[in-house]
Amino acid sequence: MQKREPVIFQIGWNACINCGACVAVCPQGAGFISAFDTIAVNRPCDIACMMCEDICPVTTISHQHLSELNGKKEVIEWLQAQHTK
Amino acid sequence: MHKTHIPVFDIVVIGSGPAGATTARIAAQKGLKVLLVDKRQELGAPIQCSGAVSRHALEELGITPSEEFIHEDIYGFSIYNQQGDKTEIDYQRIKPDEYGKGEGKKPLGYVVDRRRFDRYLMAQAERAGTEVWLKTEGLGYQPLEDGTCEVHLRRFNQEITVKSKVLVGADGLQSQVGKWAGLRTHIKLSELASCLQFIVDKVETDGLLEIVTGHQWAPGGYAWVFPKGHGYAEIGLGVIRTMTDQNAQWYLDQFIQKSFFKERFKDCRILEIQGGGVPLAHPLKKQYADNLILVGDAARHVNPITGGGIHTALSGGRIAGTFLSSFLKNGKKPTAKNLKGYQDQWLEELGNKMWKLYDEKTNIFRTKDIARQDEQLYNTMSSYFSPDSEYKKI
Repeated sequence: MQKREPVIFQIGWNACINCGACVAVCPQGAGFISAFDTIAVNRPCDIACMMCEDICPVTTISHQHLSELNGKKEVIEWLQAQHTK
Repeated sequence: MHKTHIPVFDIVVIGSGPAGATTARIAAQKGLKVLLVDKRQELGAPIQCSGAVSRHALEELGITPSEEFIHEDIYGFSIYNQQGDKTEIDYQRIKPDEYGKGEGKKPLGYVVDRRRFDRYLMAQAERAGTEVWLKTEGLGYQPLEDGTCEVHLRRFNQEITVKSKVLVGADGLQSQVGKWAGLRTHIKLSELASCLQFIVDKVETDGLLEIVTGHQWAPGGYAWVFPKGHGYAEIGLGVIRTMTDQNAQWYLDQFIQKSFFKERFKDCRILEIQGGGVPLAHPLKKQYADNLILVGDAARHVNPITGGGIHTALSGGRIAGTFLSSFLKNGKKPTAKNLKGYQDQWLEELGNKMWKLYDEKTNIFRTKDIARQDEQLYNTMSSYFSPDSEYKKI
């Protein structure tokens, strides 16, 4: 599979129905789950398969490419620090 | 906590849904020391399920149908094709002496309230002697030299380690327990239906589970209208996202506003919104590891044609609880090799049929011609629910 650019996911909590489908389909498994049975939002996802966005019944998951964070080094470092916590 | 105070159990079950609570209850009834944990504060919630279950499934497990958890009695099915033609399978007509509302007659099944139902099943497990801890999440497990394992838990923020002979992962489709053991739990996007349902007021129902097939309404899945008690209904559907660019919400809006039911639905008022991922997949090929087995959704014990998972969870729990009690009483070491017996038993009783259903489902959706595919799904659904179906019991 082609290597894709890492992304950061956002969840629109207003529409999220807590159905857990995004977690169920996530191939990243245990390392990528938030406490609320959604995919984690604040860590870079390296594989960017987007299956979580596809499965969402209410399309409330979106993403930004890491590069779109405008090379804001401190943002990326903060995210990675969250990741390794 | 000091090592000397480590609580010791025969089995620890993670996840108190129908599969976990049933495994725990059966094992406790047969004399095992059982711990059942769940991370939630309220079982069954958030609801990710339509709640349909056959009476047979409950009876088989010794569960007395009770107003505590039943929304409505069910007497049969109506299967619709895309255009709205239907096959009605009303057991009140097919077997009027057995099924119906009158004295001495019984319903065919029920729509249950998953919050109440899951709590009821947990209460039964507890009454059978299971220790139950809510607000307790599983963090990991570690097989030990002595043949048992340590299970790491967090309960109301406190980290606790317990010892157990076997850990049962009943933690649902998003199973973490299976992942701890390196089991291949990942599901393909093409085999996970994206589902959405509304509990609604002002939609009439008649004691039947209504199933609407057709690519136009629910590509890769189907739509449903189920009675929900108190005059309410449940309108929902599941779609396979690799077969369409639109999401489940879009399809549900179409179904309500544009289908042959639009007149019937025109005054509907939404009372509750629920959703979930429903696997239309084969069971996990490996449901065991050292000191560990999986049951229910975690092992993908879900009917791949209907997406129904309560009956299969209850039966899987019965098989797991029964197997583990005789297994441990015989003093067998819970190695992966020995625990394979659980899966073999499960395959023999249930799993082989589920594999066969999976093949049928795969054949239907492999058909490129959509009209032909629709026809096959309609025919399969119609025969699946008929009285002479070979799959009646799953």
